[in-house]
Amino acid sequence: MGAQPSYNLDNSSIRRLNPLLNLFLLIFVLVGILIYPGWRLSLILLLLVLVLFKASRTSLKLSRRRTKFIILFSVILLLFQVVLTPNGTVFGFIIPQLGGFGPYFPITDYGIERGLSISLRFLLIVLSSMLFVSVTDPTLLAHSLTRLRIPFRYSFALVIALRFLPLFDSENQVVRLAQKSRGIEPEIGGIRKLLRTVQYTFFPLLVSSLSRVEALSISMDGRGFGYSNTRTYLRRSEWHTRDTLVLLIALAYLVLCVSLSLGFIPQLVGVL
Amino acid sequence: MFEVQNLSFSYDGITQVLRSVNLQIARGEIVTITGPTGSGKSTLAKCISGFIPRSIKGHFSGTLLIDGTDISGLSIAEISKRVSLVQQDSDSQICTLRVADEVAFGPENYGFELESIRNLVDSTLAEVGSSHLRPRPTYALSGGEKQRVAIASILSCQPDYIILDEPSSSLDPKGILSLQSILSGLKARNVGVVCIEHNLNAFRQISDRILVISNETISTWHPPEISQEPNLQRPPVQLGDRVLSTKNVSFSYGTNRVLQDVSLAIHEGEIIALMGANGSGKTTLVQLLGGLLTPQTGTVYLGETPIHGIDRKQITRTLSIVFQNPNHQIFERTVWREQNLTADILGIPDAESHQRATELLELAGLATMRERNPFTLSHGQKRRLNVSSVSVHSPDIILFDEPFIGQDLDGRRFIMRILAEAAQAGGASLVVTHDTDFAKNHCNRVVFMENGSILLDGPPEIVFQRLIETNREEFVSLGAE
Repeated sequence: MGAQPSYNLDNSSIRRLNPLLNLFLLIFVLVGILIYPGWRLSLILLLLVLVLFKASRTSLKLSRRRTKFIILFSVILLLFQVVLTPNGTVFGFIIPQLGGFGPYFPITDYGIERGLSISLRFLLIVLSSMLFVSVTDPTLLAHSLTRLRIPFRYSFALVIALRFLPLFDSENQVVRLAQKSRGIEPEIGGIRKLLRTVQYTFFPLLVSSLSRVEALSISMDGRGFGYSNTRTYLRRSEWHTRDTLVLLIALAYLVLCVSLSLGFIPQLVGVL
Repeated sequence: MFEVQNLSFSYDGITQVLRSVNLQIARGEIVTITGPTGSGKSTLAKCISGFIPRSIKGHFSGTLLIDGTDISGLSIAEISKRVSLVQQDSDSQICTLRVADEVAFGPENYGFELESIRNLVDSTLAEVGSSHLRPRPTYALSGGEKQRVAIASILSCQPDYIILDEPSSSLDPKGILSLQSILSGLKARNVGVVCIEHNLNAFRQISDRILVISNETISTWHPPEISQEPNLQRPPVQLGDRVLSTKNVSFSYGTNRVLQDVSLAIHEGEIIALMGANGSGKTTLVQLLGGLLTPQTGTVYLGETPIHGIDRKQITRTLSIVFQNPNHQIFERTVWREQNLTADILGIPDAESHQRATELLELAGLATMRERNPFTLSHGQKRRLNVSSVSVHSPDIILFDEPFIGQDLDGRRFIMRILAEAAQAGGASLVVTHDTDFAKNHCNRVVFMENGSILLDGPPEIVFQRLIETNREEFVSLGAE
């Protein structure tokens, strides 16, 4: 099957940043746009994320159904807000006045801004998470987290999750083919049919996952996982000066978001 | 010497799986343990590697000794340093994303020195002939490569004994040859090896002893020279019309071209063995023949009609597919509901179909399990349920992908009967398999694939002769039992 890997082993400069820094950057970006939800700031960050996709040689796989769905969903979010937000300066109506009928569904500047803010933030959250998964080496991230005194049992959960994501993706495709071969078609007419569709998809996936979990647990225990509270690491993450610099820039961004949110920099509110 | 004394086990305290099993394995010895489906082979593997009763609970008694020392009081991690288990599904036991990380995983957990870990990674990968895989991502490995990495990741913990559960099940004959050489190397290095295996042909040559589990206990077994293949006569074939065909079909996953310009016609009355190395495109061809995938170029015809223009339920009525992994194709909560699922979907749940559903369950040895949750069945039982449940509505065409894996003689006999029935009723059967005995005795035709194309196509004797002449004799000599 065409299972796609989660972490790409390519070695561009973006990929050489400390994995812990990548995690901090992701958290900062998400916290920042939640504190200050301006659409212009979200757009700038989104463009930056797209540049980083290119710089890290990570394919967005625009042809894939999932990516198409993400983009389509963000457009729906935008249109939904535009249609349902009546406040603000009215530019026109989706249904204009025709004799005594209408007008309905005003298009307002606030509606557009709100729609852009929500859809751009949605895209930013999804794409920055995809970028994080793609450029972060899970084994090195586990080592970094261990250095923060997080027990390796927990940090390794991340490694396992990233290892198995593509596997579950490919299993999902096989289950769908198996459904198709038996004549099972997704049905959504009524709660019973919906539940049956869910059952026909999740039962096989769940059972397959559980059997994999058992095999994985035997495999890890059988190689001494948890033998001691400490372990050796063949590959270790290192923190470089460039990581400190990027972290400082990220902290400055976070301070900017808080300041904008509290109205400390009114001059910038119109710009961002 | 690794000794198992008086080992008994039951999961529920009622049904005994193993009873008073005694076993000795010397360092540098290869012991193959075989037995029918559900006889307790995998349970024995988990018992002697310490996972039962530590991780998997049940009613356990018995003693494990290494060089006379009782290891019953040790933890799994401590036992695994001496006796390690390589499980059947190598994909599920790989837990990191790089080959080097995977092989280093055990020594890292045991706190080996960094330099020692580096040396172990290099030496164990070399030992399984996989040094070139060191920088590769684990998700991009083939089935055989994954298994070699899984073995290397166990060997890097430096155990004295290694247990392999069904190691040949996902390997093609080339992979089996490679594994034979690895196991012989371990024997030479004085590692004790236990192979739990259905396919005796795979390791018979290199085994020092062959044991069999049956009736809850273990005994020495000398396999007869004559194959125990059910002696069903290959039916005389009157080739009829074309029932399913491909014309110049090509298919790619992304940029990976899997099939290249494949043309194949299946006629009424044929039973075809589709053979070839792992990754040669067999499974993809089956999925295309079943109308589940759409070829990038070329056309698949059901009868004389392009399959993509036919209603899905009509295709399901005419043609049944069984996939490799039984878990992916079980959808209902009871065996009986699963058995009738396709008939229900097709709207034919009448007395006649219920009668056939009952008969098939009896033939599959599942009649007493009608109300059981199908997910609680054994691997072999699930596979038989898959075969049975797609056959209730008597489809004309049967496409099975490696149905014999994990099947004992009775299971094989049942599956062969379904295949023969479809062909004799004027339909056709196509089976993806590495099993040369099956192909020789029961198929009218062998199609051999290589690198996404059909390399050979003809009667089994002629195809096998050509395989031998073209230095591919392992595909003839290492077929499953």
